[in-house]
Amino acid sequence: MMTSAAKKVPVKEGLWSVPSSPHEKPQLIGSRCLLCGEVFFPKKASGVCTHCQSRNLEEIKLSTRGKIYSFTVVMQRPPEYYKGPVPYAEGFVELPEGVRVETLFTDCNFDDLKVGMDVELVIEKLYEDEEGNEILAFKFRPLTSRKGE
Amino acid sequence: MRPLREVAIAGAGLTRFDTYDGEKGRVFKEGYELGMEAILNALQDAGMEWKDVQAAFCGTVYQNTGSGHQAIDQIGMTGIPIVNVENACSSGASSFRLAYQSIATELYDVVLAFGYEKMPRGFIRSTAWPLWQRAMGFNVQPANYAKGAVRYMEETGATEEDFARVTVKNRKNGALNPFARFQTEVTMEEVLSSRMIAKPMRLLHCCPLADGGAAIILCSKEKLRSKGKVITVAASILNSGVYGSETGGTGSTYGGGSVRIHDDLVELSAKQAWEMSGYGPEDMGVVEAYDTMAPGELWDIEKLGFCKKGEAPKLLREGALNINGRLPVNTDGGLLSRGHPLGATAGAQIIEIYRQLRGEAGARQVPEDPKIGLAHSMGAGPNSSITILKR
Repeated sequence: MMTSAAKKVPVKEGLWSVPSSPHEKPQLIGSRCLLCGEVFFPKKASGVCTHCQSRNLEEIKLSTRGKIYSFTVVMQRPPEYYKGPVPYAEGFVELPEGVRVETLFTDCNFDDLKVGMDVELVIEKLYEDEEGNEILAFKFRPLTSRKGE
Repeated sequence: MRPLREVAIAGAGLTRFDTYDGEKGRVFKEGYELGMEAILNALQDAGMEWKDVQAAFCGTVYQNTGSGHQAIDQIGMTGIPIVNVENACSSGASSFRLAYQSIATELYDVVLAFGYEKMPRGFIRSTAWPLWQRAMGFNVQPANYAKGAVRYMEETGATEEDFARVTVKNRKNGALNPFARFQTEVTMEEVLSSRMIAKPMRLLHCCPLADGGAAIILCSKEKLRSKGKVITVAASILNSGVYGSETGGTGSTYGGGSVRIHDDLVELSAKQAWEMSGYGPEDMGVVEAYDTMAPGELWDIEKLGFCKKGEAPKLLREGALNINGRLPVNTDGGLLSRGHPLGATAGAQIIEIYRQLRGEAGARQVPEDPKIGLAHSMGAGPNSSITILKR
Protein backbone atom coordinates (compact mmCIF):
# COMPACT_ATOMS: atom_id res chain seq x y z
CA MET A 1 0.00 0.00 0.00
CA MET A 2 1.22 3.46 -0.90
CA THR A 3 2.06 5.51 2.18
CA SER A 4 3.11 9.11 2.56
CA ALA A 5 6.59 7.82 3.42
CA ALA A 6 6.98 6.29 -0.08
CA LYS A 7 10.09 7.52 -1.83
CA LYS A 8 11.70 7.47 -5.25
CA VAL A 9 14.90 5.44 -4.99
CA PRO A 10 17.45 4.96 -7.80
CA VAL A 11 18.36 1.33 -8.55
CA LYS A 12 21.90 2.47 -7.76
CA GLU A 13 23.23 5.85 -6.61
CA GLY A 14 25.53 7.77 -8.95
CA LEU A 15 24.44 6.29 -12.31
CA TRP A 16 22.81 9.54 -13.43
CA SER A 17 22.81 13.21 -12.42
CA VAL A 18 19.86 14.65 -10.54
CA PRO A 19 18.96 18.06 -12.05
CA SER A 20 18.87 21.02 -9.67
CA SER A 21 16.41 22.94 -11.84
CA PRO A 22 13.42 21.89 -14.00
CA HIS A 23 15.25 23.17 -17.12
CA GLU A 24 17.97 20.57 -16.82
CA LYS A 25 17.66 16.95 -17.86
CA PRO A 26 19.21 14.01 -16.03
CA GLN A 27 22.37 12.65 -17.68
CA LEU A 28 24.25 9.40 -17.24
CA ILE A 29 27.51 9.85 -15.35
CA GLY A 30 30.64 8.27 -16.78
CA SER A 31 34.41 8.56 -16.66
CA ARG A 32 36.90 9.76 -19.25
CA CYS A 33 40.59 8.87 -19.16
CA LEU A 34 42.68 12.01 -19.51
CA LEU A 35 45.62 9.95 -20.84
CA CYS A 36 44.12 7.66 -23.55
CA GLY A 37 40.70 9.27 -23.98
CA GLU A 38 38.65 6.15 -23.27
CA VAL A 39 35.12 6.76 -21.99
CA PHE A 40 33.33 4.46 -19.54
CA PHE A 41 29.84 3.96 -18.21
CA PRO A 42 29.17 3.63 -15.38
CA LYS A 43 31.80 5.82 -13.75
CA LYS A 44 34.90 3.82 -12.77
CA ALA A 45 34.61 3.55 -8.99
CA SER A 46 38.15 2.15 -8.90
CA GLY A 47 39.55 5.34 -10.41
CA VAL A 48 41.62 3.17 -12.77
CA CYS A 49 41.37 3.30 -16.58
CA THR A 50 40.89 -0.36 -17.56
CA HIS A 51 42.28 0.39 -21.03
CA CYS A 52 45.62 2.05 -20.16
CA GLN A 53 45.67 1.66 -16.36
CA SER A 54 46.21 5.39 -15.74
CA ARG A 55 44.69 6.89 -12.59
CA ASN A 56 43.82 10.08 -14.44
CA LEU A 57 40.06 9.80 -14.79
CA GLU A 58 37.58 12.66 -14.82
CA GLU A 59 33.87 12.41 -14.18
CA ILE A 60 31.78 13.36 -17.22
CA LYS A 61 28.11 13.68 -18.03
CA LEU A 62 27.23 11.62 -21.13
CA SER A 63 25.06 12.60 -24.09
CA THR A 64 21.38 11.87 -23.60
CA ARG A 65 20.83 10.75 -27.18
CA GLY A 66 22.31 7.79 -29.04
CA LYS A 67 21.58 4.95 -31.45
CA ILE A 68 20.50 1.38 -30.77
CA TYR A 69 23.49 -0.92 -31.32
CA SER A 70 21.69 -4.15 -30.46
CA PHE A 71 18.58 -5.24 -28.62
CA THR A 72 16.40 -8.14 -27.55
CA VAL A 73 12.95 -8.67 -26.06
CA VAL A 74 13.05 -11.00 -23.05
CA MET A 75 9.86 -13.08 -22.92
CA GLN A 76 10.49 -15.10 -19.75
CA ARG A 77 10.92 -13.76 -16.23
CA PRO A 78 14.56 -13.93 -15.07
CA PRO A 79 15.09 -16.23 -12.08
CA GLU A 80 15.66 -13.51 -9.49
CA TYR A 81 16.38 -9.82 -8.83
CA TYR A 82 14.42 -8.39 -11.78
CA LYS A 83 10.98 -7.21 -10.62
CA GLY A 84 9.87 -5.10 -13.60
CA PRO A 85 7.30 -6.05 -16.23
CA VAL A 86 7.77 -9.04 -18.59
CA PRO A 87 8.23 -9.08 -21.56
CA TYR A 88 10.82 -6.31 -21.53
CA ALA A 89 13.18 -4.89 -24.13
CA GLU A 90 16.85 -4.30 -23.38
CA GLY A 91 19.99 -3.78 -25.37
CA PHE A 92 22.93 -1.52 -26.08
CA VAL A 93 22.79 2.13 -27.03
CA GLU A 94 25.89 3.66 -28.56
CA LEU A 95 26.40 7.25 -27.46
CA PRO A 96 28.32 9.88 -29.49
CA GLU A 97 31.20 9.47 -27.00
CA GLY A 98 31.62 5.93 -28.39
CA VAL A 99 30.62 4.11 -25.23
CA ARG A 100 27.93 1.43 -25.42
CA VAL A 101 25.44 1.54 -22.57
CA GLU A 102 23.35 -1.50 -21.68
CA THR A 103 19.85 -0.24 -21.02
CA LEU A 104 16.16 -1.01 -20.85
CA PHE A 105 13.95 0.38 -23.62
CA THR A 106 10.63 2.07 -22.88
CA ASP A 107 7.77 3.91 -24.53
CA CYS A 108 8.00 1.82 -27.69
CA ASN A 109 6.40 -0.99 -29.62
CA PHE A 110 8.83 -3.91 -29.21
CA ASP A 111 8.31 -4.95 -32.84
CA ASP A 112 9.48 -1.52 -34.06
CA LEU A 113 12.92 -1.63 -32.40
CA LYS A 114 15.73 -1.58 -34.94
CA VAL A 115 19.52 -1.38 -34.99
CA GLY A 116 20.50 2.24 -35.64
CA MET A 117 17.28 3.72 -34.23
CA ASP A 118 17.68 7.14 -32.52
CA VAL A 119 16.85 6.99 -28.83
CA GLU A 120 16.98 9.31 -25.81
CA LEU A 121 17.48 8.87 -22.09
CA VAL A 122 14.64 8.88 -19.59
CA ILE A 123 14.56 8.08 -15.86
CA GLU A 124 11.57 5.90 -15.05
CA LYS A 125 10.08 3.53 -12.54
CA LEU A 126 11.57 0.04 -12.71
CA TYR A 127 9.26 -1.45 -10.07
CA GLU A 128 7.62 -0.67 -6.73
CA ASP A 129 9.10 -2.33 -3.66
CA GLU A 130 7.19 -3.81 -0.66
CA GLU A 131 7.11 -0.44 1.15
CA GLY A 132 5.60 1.28 -1.89
CA ASN A 133 8.86 3.00 -2.86
CA GLU A 134 9.40 3.58 -6.56
CA ILE A 135 12.69 2.05 -7.67
CA LEU A 136 13.98 4.18 -10.57
CA ALA A 137 16.17 3.13 -13.49
CA PHE A 138 17.57 4.76 -16.60
CA LYS A 139 15.94 3.72 -19.86
CA PHE A 140 16.03 4.86 -23.48
CA ARG A 141 13.04 5.52 -25.71
CA PRO A 142 12.80 6.02 -29.46
CA LEU A 143 12.85 9.70 -30.46
CA THR A 144 9.99 9.03 -32.88
CA SER A 145 7.70 8.24 -29.96
CA ARG A 146 7.81 11.93 -29.00
CA LYS A 147 6.04 13.00 -32.19
CA GLY A 148 2.81 14.81 -31.42
CA GLU A 149 3.95 16.09 -28.04
CA MET B 1 61.03 -21.34 -22.44
CA ARG B 2 62.47 -24.86 -22.56
CA PRO B 3 60.68 -27.40 -24.78
CA LEU B 4 57.66 -29.05 -23.19
CA ARG B 5 57.34 -32.80 -22.81
CA GLU B 6 54.75 -34.40 -25.05
CA VAL B 7 51.49 -35.19 -23.21
CA ALA B 8 49.14 -38.01 -24.19
CA ILE B 9 45.53 -38.81 -23.36
CA ALA B 10 45.59 -42.00 -21.29
CA GLY B 11 41.84 -42.45 -21.25
CA ALA B 12 38.51 -40.68 -20.89
CA GLY B 13 35.08 -41.27 -19.42
CA LEU B 14 31.64 -39.66 -19.41
CA THR B 15 28.33 -40.16 -17.68
CA ARG B 16 25.19 -39.92 -19.74
CA PHE B 17 24.20 -36.23 -19.63
CA ASP B 18 20.67 -36.25 -18.24
CA THR B 19 18.43 -35.03 -15.43
CA TYR B 20 19.28 -36.90 -12.22
CA ASP B 21 16.69 -35.32 -9.90
CA GLY B 22 14.79 -38.43 -8.79
CA GLU B 23 11.50 -36.91 -9.97
CA LYS B 24 8.93 -38.44 -12.35
CA GLY B 25 10.63 -41.83 -12.28
CA ARG B 26 14.08 -40.41 -13.06
CA VAL B 27 17.17 -41.69 -11.27
CA PHE B 28 18.55 -39.51 -8.47
CA LYS B 29 22.29 -38.93 -8.32
CA GLU B 30 24.35 -36.45 -6.35
CA GLY B 31 26.68 -34.26 -8.40
CA TYR B 32 29.78 -35.86 -6.88
CA GLU B 33 28.47 -39.30 -7.87
CA LEU B 34 28.47 -38.12 -11.49
CA GLY B 35 32.08 -36.99 -11.05
CA MET B 36 33.01 -40.34 -9.52
CA GLU B 37 31.28 -42.29 -12.29
CA ALA B 38 33.17 -40.34 -14.98
CA ILE B 39 36.50 -40.98 -13.21
CA LEU B 40 35.85 -44.74 -12.95
CA ASN B 41 34.94 -44.85 -16.65
CA ALA B 42 38.15 -42.96 -17.52
CA LEU B 43 40.30 -45.34 -15.43
CA GLN B 44 38.77 -48.31 -17.22
CA ASP B 45 39.31 -46.66 -20.62
CA ALA B 46 42.94 -45.93 -19.70
CA GLY B 47 43.60 -49.41 -18.29
CA MET B 48 44.93 -47.72 -15.16
CA GLU B 49 44.48 -48.11 -11.42
CA TRP B 50 43.37 -45.22 -9.20
CA LYS B 51 46.77 -45.36 -7.43
CA ASP B 52 48.48 -44.45 -10.74
CA VAL B 53 46.97 -40.95 -10.58
CA GLN B 54 49.37 -38.41 -9.04
CA ALA B 55 47.24 -35.22 -9.01
CA ALA B 56 43.67 -34.15 -9.83
CA PHE B 57 42.02 -30.98 -11.07
CA CYS B 58 38.24 -30.68 -10.88
CA GLY B 59 36.10 -28.09 -12.70
CA THR B 60 32.68 -27.17 -11.32
CA VAL B 61 30.63 -23.96 -11.10
CA TYR B 62 27.56 -24.47 -8.89
CA GLN B 63 28.77 -27.31 -6.63
CA ASN B 64 29.93 -27.20 -3.05
CA THR B 65 33.30 -26.33 -1.61
CA GLY B 66 35.75 -29.13 -2.33
CA SER B 67 33.73 -30.54 -5.21
CA GLY B 68 36.68 -32.57 -6.51
CA HIS B 69 37.37 -33.91 -3.04
CA GLN B 70 33.76 -35.11 -2.68
CA ALA B 71 33.90 -37.09 -5.92
CA ILE B 72 37.34 -38.55 -5.23
CA ASP B 73 36.36 -39.42 -1.64
CA GLN B 74 33.99 -42.00 -3.19
CA ILE B 75 37.00 -43.73 -4.76
CA GLY B 76 39.63 -43.18 -2.10
CA MET B 77 41.85 -40.44 -0.81
CA THR B 78 45.48 -41.22 -1.54
CA GLY B 79 47.21 -38.03 -0.42
CA ILE B 80 47.44 -36.61 -3.95
CA PRO B 81 46.75 -32.89 -4.43
CA ILE B 82 43.19 -32.14 -5.53
CA VAL B 83 42.58 -28.63 -6.86
CA ASN B 84 39.10 -27.30 -7.58
CA VAL B 85 38.76 -24.94 -10.53
CA GLU B 86 35.88 -22.53 -11.17
CA ASN B 87 36.20 -20.80 -14.53
CA ALA B 88 32.54 -20.70 -15.56
CA CYS B 89 31.80 -22.75 -18.70
CA SER B 90 35.57 -23.09 -19.28
CA SER B 91 36.08 -24.79 -15.89
CA GLY B 92 36.61 -28.24 -17.42
CA ALA B 93 38.99 -26.89 -20.07
CA SER B 94 40.90 -24.96 -17.41
CA SER B 95 41.30 -28.17 -15.38
CA PHE B 96 42.51 -29.96 -18.49
CA ARG B 97 45.08 -27.24 -19.13
CA LEU B 98 46.41 -27.40 -15.56
CA ALA B 99 46.75 -31.18 -15.87
CA TYR B 100 48.46 -30.77 -19.24
CA GLN B 101 50.91 -28.21 -17.84
CA SER B 102 51.87 -30.33 -14.86
CA ILE B 103 52.84 -33.24 -17.13
CA ALA B 104 54.41 -31.14 -19.89
CA THR B 105 56.67 -29.52 -17.29
CA GLU B 106 57.52 -32.97 -15.83
CA LEU B 107 56.08 -32.31 -12.39
CA TYR B 108 53.88 -35.42 -12.68
CA ASP B 109 53.45 -38.31 -15.13
CA VAL B 110 49.75 -39.18 -14.67
CA VAL B 111 47.13 -36.53 -13.86
CA LEU B 112 43.33 -36.52 -13.78
CA ALA B 113 41.31 -33.61 -15.21
CA PHE B 114 37.59 -33.90 -14.59
CA GLY B 115 34.47 -31.87 -14.10
CA TYR B 116 30.85 -32.36 -13.20
CA GLU B 117 27.69 -30.42 -12.52
CA LYS B 118 24.24 -30.89 -11.16
CA MET B 119 22.44 -27.89 -12.61
CA PRO B 120 19.91 -25.65 -10.88
CA ARG B 121 16.68 -25.50 -12.92
CA GLY B 122 15.61 -22.55 -15.10
CA PHE B 123 17.78 -19.98 -16.85
CA ILE B 124 21.47 -20.60 -16.24
CA ARG B 125 22.16 -18.27 -13.34
CA SER B 126 25.06 -15.94 -13.62
CA THR B 127 26.10 -13.89 -10.65
CA ALA B 128 28.84 -12.23 -12.68
CA TRP B 129 26.77 -9.04 -12.96
CA PRO B 130 26.55 -6.28 -10.32
CA LEU B 131 23.31 -6.37 -8.34
CA TRP B 132 21.83 -3.25 -10.02
CA GLN B 133 22.35 -4.80 -13.46
CA ARG B 134 20.61 -7.97 -12.32
CA ALA B 135 17.75 -5.78 -11.02
CA MET B 136 17.53 -4.26 -14.51
CA GLY B 137 17.26 -7.73 -16.06
CA PHE B 138 20.64 -7.82 -17.81
CA ASN B 139 21.79 -11.23 -16.54
CA VAL B 140 19.73 -13.47 -18.84
CA GLN B 141 22.04 -15.68 -20.92
CA PRO B 142 19.72 -16.26 -23.91
CA ALA B 143 19.21 -12.47 -24.04
CA ASN B 144 22.93 -11.89 -24.25
CA TYR B 145 23.22 -14.28 -27.18
CA ALA B 146 20.11 -12.70 -28.69
CA LYS B 147 21.84 -9.31 -28.76
CA GLY B 148 24.87 -10.93 -30.38
CA ALA B 149 22.59 -12.66 -32.88
CA VAL B 150 20.91 -9.35 -33.80
CA ARG B 151 24.33 -7.82 -34.50
CA TYR B 152 25.42 -10.92 -36.45
CA MET B 153 22.24 -10.74 -38.59
CA GLU B 154 22.81 -7.01 -39.15
CA GLU B 155 26.46 -7.44 -40.18
CA THR B 156 26.29 -10.68 -42.20
CA GLY B 157 22.71 -11.01 -43.45
CA ALA B 158 22.26 -14.30 -41.53
CA THR B 159 18.65 -15.30 -40.87
CA GLU B 160 16.66 -17.04 -38.16
CA GLU B 161 16.55 -20.04 -40.53
CA ASP B 162 20.36 -20.19 -40.42
CA PHE B 163 20.25 -20.40 -36.63
CA ALA B 164 17.54 -23.08 -36.77
CA ARG B 165 19.68 -25.09 -39.19
CA VAL B 166 22.44 -25.31 -36.54
CA THR B 167 19.97 -26.88 -34.10
CA VAL B 168 18.67 -29.30 -36.73
CA LYS B 169 22.21 -30.46 -37.62
CA ASN B 170 23.35 -30.83 -34.03
CA ARG B 171 20.21 -32.65 -32.91
CA LYS B 172 20.70 -35.04 -35.84
CA ASN B 173 24.24 -35.74 -34.60
CA GLY B 174 23.05 -36.00 -31.00
CA ALA B 175 20.58 -38.70 -32.02
CA LEU B 176 23.69 -40.86 -32.67
CA ASN B 177 25.26 -40.12 -29.26
CA PRO B 178 24.20 -42.43 -26.38
CA PHE B 179 25.63 -39.94 -23.83
CA ALA B 180 23.60 -36.94 -25.05
CA ARG B 181 20.73 -35.40 -23.07
CA PHE B 182 18.61 -35.22 -26.26
CA GLN B 183 18.85 -38.16 -28.65
CA THR B 184 16.04 -37.16 -30.98
CA GLU B 185 16.04 -35.14 -34.19
CA VAL B 186 14.05 -31.94 -34.67
CA THR B 187 12.78 -30.25 -37.85
CA MET B 188 13.24 -26.66 -39.02
CA GLU B 189 9.52 -26.09 -38.40
CA GLU B 190 9.80 -27.33 -34.82
CA VAL B 191 12.72 -25.01 -34.10
CA LEU B 192 11.10 -21.97 -35.74
CA SER B 193 7.79 -22.49 -33.95
CA SER B 194 9.29 -23.22 -30.51
CA ARG B 195 8.62 -20.71 -27.73
CA MET B 196 10.34 -17.33 -28.03
CA ILE B 197 12.74 -16.87 -25.07
CA ALA B 198 14.58 -13.65 -25.99
CA LYS B 199 13.91 -12.37 -29.48
CA PRO B 200 15.17 -13.80 -31.89
CA MET B 201 16.25 -16.75 -29.70
CA ARG B 202 13.71 -19.53 -29.31
CA LEU B 203 13.67 -22.46 -26.92
CA LEU B 204 15.24 -24.85 -29.44
CA HIS B 205 18.08 -22.42 -30.11
CA CYS B 206 19.12 -22.86 -26.45
CA CYS B 207 21.16 -25.75 -25.09
CA PRO B 208 19.17 -27.81 -22.58
CA LEU B 209 20.04 -28.08 -18.92
CA ALA B 210 21.67 -31.37 -18.02
CA ASP B 211 23.56 -32.99 -15.17
CA GLY B 212 26.70 -34.96 -15.92
CA GLY B 213 30.38 -35.66 -15.48
CA ALA B 214 33.42 -35.90 -17.75
CA ALA B 215 36.91 -37.16 -16.86
CA ILE B 216 40.17 -37.29 -18.80
CA ILE B 217 43.42 -38.89 -17.61
CA LEU B 218 46.54 -37.34 -19.12
CA CYS B 219 50.01 -38.88 -18.98
CA SER B 220 53.50 -38.90 -20.40
CA LYS B 221 53.73 -41.20 -23.42
CA GLU B 222 55.72 -43.89 -21.59
CA LYS B 223 52.93 -44.28 -19.03
CA LEU B 224 50.29 -45.14 -21.65
CA ARG B 225 48.56 -48.50 -21.04
CA SER B 226 45.63 -48.34 -23.43
CA LYS B 227 45.97 -50.41 -26.61
CA GLY B 228 44.11 -47.80 -28.70
CA LYS B 229 45.63 -45.24 -31.06
CA VAL B 230 47.96 -42.79 -29.30
CA ILE B 231 46.47 -39.30 -29.02
CA THR B 232 48.60 -36.38 -27.84
CA VAL B 233 47.93 -32.74 -27.00
CA ALA B 234 49.10 -30.37 -29.77
CA ALA B 235 47.85 -27.19 -28.10
CA SER B 236 46.19 -26.16 -24.85
CA ILE B 237 45.24 -22.51 -24.67
CA LEU B 238 43.30 -20.40 -22.20
CA ASN B 239 42.63 -16.69 -22.57
CA SER B 240 40.55 -14.70 -20.17
CA GLY B 241 39.16 -11.28 -21.06
CA VAL B 242 40.89 -9.00 -23.53
CA TYR B 243 40.17 -5.28 -23.71
CA GLY B 244 37.87 -4.23 -26.53
CA SER B 245 36.57 -7.73 -27.29
CA GLU B 246 32.87 -8.39 -27.49
CA THR B 247 31.96 -10.58 -24.53
CA GLY B 248 30.73 -14.01 -25.49
CA GLY B 249 28.89 -12.78 -28.55
CA THR B 250 26.74 -10.46 -26.48
CA GLY B 251 27.27 -7.41 -28.61
CA SER B 252 28.76 -5.60 -25.65
CA THR B 253 32.32 -4.40 -25.76
CA TYR B 254 34.44 -5.48 -22.85
CA GLY B 255 35.68 -2.16 -21.52
CA GLY B 256 34.65 1.22 -22.85
CA GLY B 257 34.46 1.95 -26.54
CA SER B 258 35.57 5.41 -27.49
CA VAL B 259 39.10 4.36 -28.48
CA ARG B 260 37.68 1.81 -30.92
CA ILE B 261 39.78 -1.17 -29.98
CA HIS B 262 38.53 -4.30 -31.71
CA ASP B 263 40.54 -7.19 -30.38
CA ASP B 264 38.63 -10.43 -30.24
CA LEU B 265 39.04 -12.99 -27.48
CA VAL B 266 38.32 -16.03 -29.66
CA GLU B 267 40.57 -14.80 -32.47
CA LEU B 268 43.36 -14.36 -29.92
CA SER B 269 42.91 -17.94 -28.65
CA ALA B 270 42.87 -19.29 -32.21
CA LYS B 271 46.05 -17.40 -33.11
CA GLN B 272 47.83 -18.84 -30.06
CA ALA B 273 46.50 -22.36 -30.74
CA TRP B 274 47.76 -22.30 -34.35
CA GLU B 275 51.13 -20.99 -33.16
CA MET B 276 51.51 -23.58 -30.42
CA SER B 277 50.43 -26.54 -32.56
CA GLY B 278 52.06 -25.50 -35.82
CA TYR B 279 48.77 -26.38 -37.55
CA GLY B 280 46.18 -24.24 -39.28
CA PRO B 281 42.41 -24.45 -39.74
CA GLU B 282 42.86 -26.51 -42.93
CA ASP B 283 44.50 -29.33 -40.90
CA MET B 284 41.49 -29.95 -38.63
CA GLY B 285 39.52 -33.12 -39.39
CA VAL B 286 36.89 -32.60 -36.69
CA VAL B 287 35.84 -29.60 -34.57
CA GLU B 288 33.86 -29.01 -31.39
CA ALA B 289 32.64 -25.41 -31.54
CA TYR B 290 30.82 -23.60 -28.76
CA ASP B 291 27.07 -23.83 -29.40
CA THR B 292 25.57 -22.95 -26.04
CA MET B 293 23.11 -21.05 -28.26
CA ALA B 294 22.67 -22.02 -31.92
CA PRO B 295 24.10 -18.87 -33.57
CA GLY B 296 27.22 -19.21 -31.41
CA GLU B 297 28.42 -22.12 -33.55
CA LEU B 298 28.34 -19.92 -36.65
CA TRP B 299 30.37 -17.01 -35.35
CA ASP B 300 32.64 -19.39 -33.44
CA ILE B 301 33.88 -21.24 -36.53
CA GLU B 302 34.35 -17.87 -38.26
CA LYS B 303 36.41 -16.45 -35.39
CA LEU B 304 38.46 -19.66 -35.15
CA GLY B 305 39.46 -19.02 -38.77
CA PHE B 306 37.65 -21.83 -40.61
CA CYS B 307 35.98 -19.30 -42.92
CA LYS B 308 35.50 -15.56 -43.33
CA LYS B 309 32.97 -13.60 -41.29
CA GLY B 310 29.46 -14.25 -42.53
CA GLU B 311 30.34 -17.39 -44.51
CA ALA B 312 29.46 -20.00 -41.86
CA PRO B 313 25.73 -20.09 -42.72
CA LYS B 314 26.68 -20.98 -46.32
CA LEU B 315 28.98 -23.81 -45.16
CA LEU B 316 26.15 -25.09 -42.99
CA ARG B 317 23.60 -24.94 -45.85
CA GLU B 318 26.01 -26.80 -48.16
CA GLY B 319 26.42 -29.61 -45.61
CA ALA B 320 30.14 -28.91 -45.06
CA LEU B 321 29.63 -28.98 -41.26
CA ASN B 322 27.86 -32.38 -41.27
CA ILE B 323 29.57 -35.55 -39.99
CA ASN B 324 30.34 -36.51 -43.61
CA GLY B 325 31.16 -32.93 -44.67
CA ARG B 326 34.60 -31.44 -45.18
CA LEU B 327 34.58 -29.71 -41.76
CA PRO B 328 32.54 -31.84 -39.32
CA VAL B 329 31.43 -29.63 -36.40
CA ASN B 330 29.87 -30.87 -33.14
CA THR B 331 29.67 -34.50 -34.22
CA ASP B 332 28.37 -35.52 -30.76
CA GLY B 333 25.46 -33.10 -31.03
CA GLY B 334 27.19 -30.19 -29.32
CA LEU B 335 25.78 -28.44 -26.30
CA LEU B 336 22.45 -28.22 -28.14
CA SER B 337 22.00 -32.02 -27.86
CA ARG B 338 24.41 -33.01 -25.15
CA GLY B 339 23.14 -30.43 -22.69
CA HIS B 340 25.26 -28.14 -20.56
CA PRO B 341 26.40 -29.34 -17.14
CA LEU B 342 28.81 -26.40 -16.83
CA GLY B 343 31.81 -28.11 -15.23
CA ALA B 344 31.56 -31.18 -17.50
CA THR B 345 30.93 -29.51 -20.85
CA ALA B 346 34.45 -28.61 -21.96
CA GLY B 347 35.73 -32.06 -20.94
CA ALA B 348 32.99 -33.69 -23.01
CA GLN B 349 34.04 -31.59 -26.02
CA ILE B 350 37.67 -32.72 -25.69
CA ILE B 351 36.54 -36.33 -25.22
CA GLU B 352 34.57 -36.19 -28.48
CA ILE B 353 37.72 -35.12 -30.35
CA TYR B 354 39.64 -37.93 -28.62
CA ARG B 355 37.02 -40.54 -29.61
CA GLN B 356 36.90 -39.31 -33.20
CA LEU B 357 40.71 -39.42 -33.58
CA ARG B 358 40.78 -42.94 -32.09
CA GLY B 359 38.02 -44.09 -34.45
CA GLU B 360 35.83 -44.92 -31.44
CA ALA B 361 32.87 -42.61 -32.13
CA GLY B 362 30.53 -45.40 -33.26
CA ALA B 363 27.54 -44.37 -35.37
CA ARG B 364 28.74 -40.74 -35.50
CA GLN B 365 32.32 -41.56 -36.53
CA VAL B 366 33.67 -39.11 -39.12
CA PRO B 367 34.29 -41.28 -42.20
CA GLU B 368 37.43 -39.42 -43.32
CA ASP B 369 39.57 -40.88 -40.48
CA PRO B 370 40.44 -37.54 -38.85
CA LYS B 371 43.96 -37.26 -37.41
CA ILE B 372 43.79 -33.79 -35.84
CA GLY B 373 40.88 -32.05 -34.12
CA LEU B 374 40.04 -28.92 -32.13
CA ALA B 375 37.69 -28.19 -29.22
CA HIS B 376 36.76 -24.62 -28.26
CA SER B 377 34.88 -23.61 -25.15
CA MET B 378 33.83 -20.17 -23.96
CA GLY B 379 32.75 -19.07 -20.53
CA ALA B 380 31.56 -16.15 -18.52
CA GLY B 381 34.35 -14.13 -17.06
CA PRO B 382 35.03 -14.12 -20.01
CA ASN B 383 37.14 -17.15 -20.85
CA SER B 384 38.08 -18.81 -24.13
CA SER B 385 39.85 -22.16 -24.22
CA ILE B 386 41.16 -24.20 -27.15
CA THR B 387 42.47 -27.75 -27.10
CA ILE B 388 44.00 -29.37 -30.21
CA LEU B 389 44.56 -33.13 -30.15
CA LYS B 390 46.49 -35.13 -32.74
CA ARG B 391 47.15 -38.74 -33.55
